[in-house]
Amino acid sequence: MRTGDFKETYGELVALVDSPPVWLWSAVLIAGLIVAPYLLNSYALSFLMIILITVVGALGLNILTGYTGLISLGHVGFLVTGAYAYAVLVSKYHMHPLIGFLGAGAVPALVSLIVGAPSLRLKGLYLAITTLAFSFIINTVILEARWLTNGARGISVQRPEIFGVSFDSDPAFTHLCLGFAILTLFATLNIRRSRVGRAFVAIRDNDTAARVMGINLHAYKLFAFVSSAFITGIAGALYGIYLSFVSVEGFPFLLSIEALAILIVGGLGSALGAVLGTILIVLLPEATRMVFGLFSAQMDALFSTGAQELKSMLYGLVIILFLRFQPRGLVGAWHDIRRLWVNWPLRY
Amino acid sequence: MQYLIQLLVSGLAIGAIYGLIAMGFAVIYRSTGLVNFAQGEMTMIVAYMAWTISTTISGNVFVVAIGAILAAIVLGLVIERVVMRPMLGEPVFATVMVTIGLAVILRSSINFIWDAYPHGLDIGVGRSIIRIGSIGVRTGQIAVIAMLLLLLAAIWAFFRYSKFGIAMRAVAADDRTALLMGISATRVHSIAWAASSVIAGIAGVFFALTYDLSPAMFQLGLKAFPATILGGLDAVLGSGLGGLLIGITENLAGGYLGSGMKEVAGFAMIIVVLMIRPFGIFGERDIERV
Repeated sequence: MRTGDFKETYGELVALVDSPPVWLWSAVLIAGLIVAPYLLNSYALSFLMIILITVVGALGLNILTGYTGLISLGHVGFLVTGAYAYAVLVSKYHMHPLIGFLGAGAVPALVSLIVGAPSLRLKGLYLAITTLAFSFIINTVILEARWLTNGARGISVQRPEIFGVSFDSDPAFTHLCLGFAILTLFATLNIRRSRVGRAFVAIRDNDTAARVMGINLHAYKLFAFVSSAFITGIAGALYGIYLSFVSVEGFPFLLSIEALAILIVGGLGSALGAVLGTILIVLLPEATRMVFGLFSAQMDALFSTGAQELKSMLYGLVIILFLRFQPRGLVGAWHDIRRLWVNWPLRY
Repeated sequence: MQYLIQLLVSGLAIGAIYGLIAMGFAVIYRSTGLVNFAQGEMTMIVAYMAWTISTTISGNVFVVAIGAILAAIVLGLVIERVVMRPMLGEPVFATVMVTIGLAVILRSSINFIWDAYPHGLDIGVGRSIIRIGSIGVRTGQIAVIAMLLLLLAAIWAFFRYSKFGIAMRAVAADDRTALLMGISATRVHSIAWAASSVIAGIAGVFFALTYDLSPAMFQLGLKAFPATILGGLDAVLGSGLGGLLIGITENLAGGYLGSGMKEVAGFAMIIVVLMIRPFGIFGERDIERV
């Protein structure tokens, strides 16, 4: 009888999945997601697209906040930098979209080097403050650099055509987002399995111990920050394409908070958590609207006028409540349920 | 020359407001070791409450002042009791995230409790312009600078001489030893939150008096970050003076380099300070480098 999930070798500890059936279920899920765009109506499809794009960004932040334990309040800055890098390269200079995506990752990564190098030398919350400052500086920089970014007018972006395959239709674009989401998922899972990922987690858990083990704290923190910015930048490019128009207003500060809420709700430091958190947070405002809409039409009206405020209030509440009552997030709850299922009626 | 002096004076006035909010940061950091990301939002809420008092109860200056201070104390105590105290003993990461969540909630609550339009807090003082030579200054601007200096002196004396001020320093230095000496840490925390809320609230009310009241006021809190980093996160007096420096820098940058630079100058300062002197000009605690 199976009594639990035991790791007996080091190989099992770094395995990509717990057990072979996980591969099967993942394949079923991916097949489902490939078919889904043809079945869903356009409203539901837009949610699917948003979820897939947000997953990329949340996984990016997860490397920094989840694995390495550093708070960034300015990830929206990397999102907007990535979106502009793509828009400038592809819409303005007519480069190949793949070069655009590469630029969307590389430009934020370079910028993050400038922000991260001074602030990551320090212990404590300084990264949160500098990234917060950065996300405001970058908006001013974008608005001032009119020759490159058209200032406040923004740049319109077409959906790309890569090697003769057009991603113009909604289902096709969903597939593109799905591709990026799966790539990012594998990338972050593999980072976590590698020497680098273990170093990140060691820094998060106890930086003095990590240093004693020979981990160069500054270098690894900086690497976490840069790779996180790279992935977030790509998410920004995808989001820009989704909006079909890149401007500073399209990337409000709330997105930074949303990303942190996703990680906390999902469970810090877990890729599965980032995915679950994204689904919950993206659907939360809509779900709340439906629940309250049942009671009265007046509430429904409130939701449509104050949508942005209600959203931010929900994110704030979710952050506080999860930290207080379920600090391990949805993943923690899932692990508890799984253990209960395996061990029942015994406690362990 | 006159342009320069005008810039300096208005820089000092806005800097005094940043300085007050930055002192609020530092009071909480000193006694709880926690960066309160909701400081700007608390500033804004107190200003809105003062506005409500002035429109509903009485527009008398003293009524509004006392009402606003009481409201700020209640706000600080409620936040500490309801939101922060349950997080006592949790890792810093979690408590800081809670203040971020709180910030977002307070920010959006403005639109539900009040509305999204700008208002003027008009109680008959603060807006008249005094001319000194060829320079025009609003009375509110002079008053806020005086208020900052007054509070700086008061807080210095409080931490230096009063028993409770010494207790707060003890909790900040080593909370476990302070507990053994019979100091109630939770009491110190709640007083710190109330004090910080009052100091920030004064800044908010003065800002509303001299300029106006709008849901974008929380950005004052963001501008106060450079002030407290420059002055030292753990230095209450330093943060106040840091505010003045940031205010002047920002206005000079705005006046000579363009309005875009005005928004950025303070934030650029953070990065410079962290590179050169990460514990700030007046900060005592050594910050560990890695």
